[in-house]
Amino acid sequence: MSEKIYVFLIRLFPADFRRTYGEESLQLFRDRSRDERGLWPGLRLWFDLLTDLAVSIPVEYRHAQPALAGDSGAQPVDGMPGFELLETTPLRPAAFLSAAFLSFATFAAISVLIVHGGSYRALWLRGAQDQRPDASRASSSVRSAQPSKGAGHQKLMSIRSKEDPTSEVAAPGSGNLMLVSLTSAQRLLPGNPAFAQSNRAQIGQPTPQDATTAMIRAFDSHNIVMFGENHGVKQEYEWLDKLVSTPQFADRVDDIVVEFGNSLYQKSVDRYIAGEDVPIEQVQKAWQNMIGAVGPPSPVYAGFYKAVRDENLKRRGKHQIRLVLGDPYGDWDRIKNAEDLGPYLANRDQWYAQVVKDEVVARNHRALLIMGAGHFLRRNGPGYVEREIRAAGANPYLVVFGTNAIGAYDDLDPRFDAWTRPAIVSLAGNWVGELPSSSVTTGGSVPATQLKLADAADALLYVAPRDALTQVNMTRSELERTAYEKELNRRMMIMTGRTLGPLPTEAEAPMFHRPQPQLNAGGQNALPPPPQTIHDPLPPRPPSR
Amino acid sequence: MPKRKLDPLPSAAFQILLSLAEEDLHGYAIMRQVEEQTAGRMRMGPGTLYGSIQSLLEEKFIEEIDLGDDAKAGQERRRYYRLTATGRKLARSEAERLADLLRVARAKKILRGDYV
Repeated sequence: MSEKIYVFLIRLFPADFRRTYGEESLQLFRDRSRDERGLWPGLRLWFDLLTDLAVSIPVEYRHAQPALAGDSGAQPVDGMPGFELLETTPLRPAAFLSAAFLSFATFAAISVLIVHGGSYRALWLRGAQDQRPDASRASSSVRSAQPSKGAGHQKLMSIRSKEDPTSEVAAPGSGNLMLVSLTSAQRLLPGNPAFAQSNRAQIGQPTPQDATTAMIRAFDSHNIVMFGENHGVKQEYEWLDKLVSTPQFADRVDDIVVEFGNSLYQKSVDRYIAGEDVPIEQVQKAWQNMIGAVGPPSPVYAGFYKAVRDENLKRRGKHQIRLVLGDPYGDWDRIKNAEDLGPYLANRDQWYAQVVKDEVVARNHRALLIMGAGHFLRRNGPGYVEREIRAAGANPYLVVFGTNAIGAYDDLDPRFDAWTRPAIVSLAGNWVGELPSSSVTTGGSVPATQLKLADAADALLYVAPRDALTQVNMTRSELERTAYEKELNRRMMIMTGRTLGPLPTEAEAPMFHRPQPQLNAGGQNALPPPPQTIHDPLPPRPPSR
Repeated sequence: MPKRKLDPLPSAAFQILLSLAEEDLHGYAIMRQVEEQTAGRMRMGPGTLYGSIQSLLEEKFIEEIDLGDDAKAGQERRRYYRLTATGRKLARSEAERLADLLRVARAKKILRGDYV
């Protein structure tokens, strides 16, 4: 709809400008629409566009070359004079007034639709439901931990009266005020009993797809798929291992760029992934000597490297996948203190983006990027890595790992139970996209904020219910009294001023624990001040090992 | 037909020249680069962006380049632009003009020394 409006507005430019830059302008509009989703960015985008139209259209008409207005109708004949019809008359002032009026009306209509569009529909639907309370309850499949109706309404009413008193109407026969119109901010309040219902009433249903199929298809229209992972989740990595061993994936994807690999060791990993005999002690330095990791790395990463290698070995003579390491090339043998570490820690996103630009985009490759979801999630627009690779000409698609936690820790949504797993679901135009990003991506460990999933990513990977997810750990028996444990304690002291703490005894543990209150937030858990080198650029890159 | 004026150099055109100083970019990337280098103060719309690009192309301060078939990589075909030697010279002289202004402003104690 927005695009059609903009196509219409482009017609206000002179014909010559439209022919030369019409398509480019539309492409720029598409790029910005894709990157600037959500209420405020959307309004800002239209404000920019309309201001730009108001300023640039008169300028373009002043400089317009007369354009052919149409075919003269006569075939050119040698020796005979020919005549072409030219657009020489500038637009009348009335046309500018009409354009300005239309632009203003469109801007106002879009603003109203964005802010209130869903709510008006909710009014109709909720009104119908409220008149049939029994039927409404029977058809409802609300969250298990829903607060009582009365308490929820009181909470909402007090907020609503501040922002939009007119949004309350009395429900027929109930004797209570019922919520029938919510602002977008109110829809996202954690613990709001109308949250799931109102969203279901307003927007479409998601279409979960088999995760492997969906991921492979994403490469039909995008040269890069960014996957925002949750570190060390067993079920997530079982799926990733399966994905890389799917022939269709290996056929079309050139590179997998990972956060869990220190790029100092790219050479060894290249040889290992290509199937050569490389001592594992040399290869495992890539994931054991990460700059960004604090603590022992999860064994899922070693498993993933092996899965890629095994697939390449199976495909000898065919297209091979390369594992590209995106962690900065800091050498822990030379890092003695926080000042040595600072530049590497501070430039993790910068280096990752540079690696993608150099190794993927510049070579016209297709790649899967894997990095912690926090690095990739969009907040008020794309994050650093996405911005950089888009500017380099890439066309990425962002999938993030998520759970069925949709608010506080106990707010689990049973609607996810109906999905065949693992699934990838597009977040545009359905209730999944309306869920709070912070809760879904952290298993309810972080309370809901205003940021919706649809504004934070393009699609969600759902591998299992939150409480079935497990984290794979290196155990105490594997680490205790080893040189690696001693080294990890040294690194932890440099990074945080503390040692590792108790090591897990079990190889697997529940992924998302109930959040505990922070008793010593300003005491012994406080991190040391950042090193002074935190703003320094990366040092020169040493030769790869 | 009035010719597009680049003297004095409009702010949008100067920002485009600066955005192309280090690498060749397409339209959207130029817009983003300008937004970044102005700390978000300037977000050029398509009309301003391509109008300025057109005038810079006419004066040969920038040139359009062919980067080959991007469509192979699943991307839309985009036009990339490159700063010409004349364009770089123009950007430098504009930057020097602004630096002169700053020097005057500092001498008049309108700006403190920590600017530029």
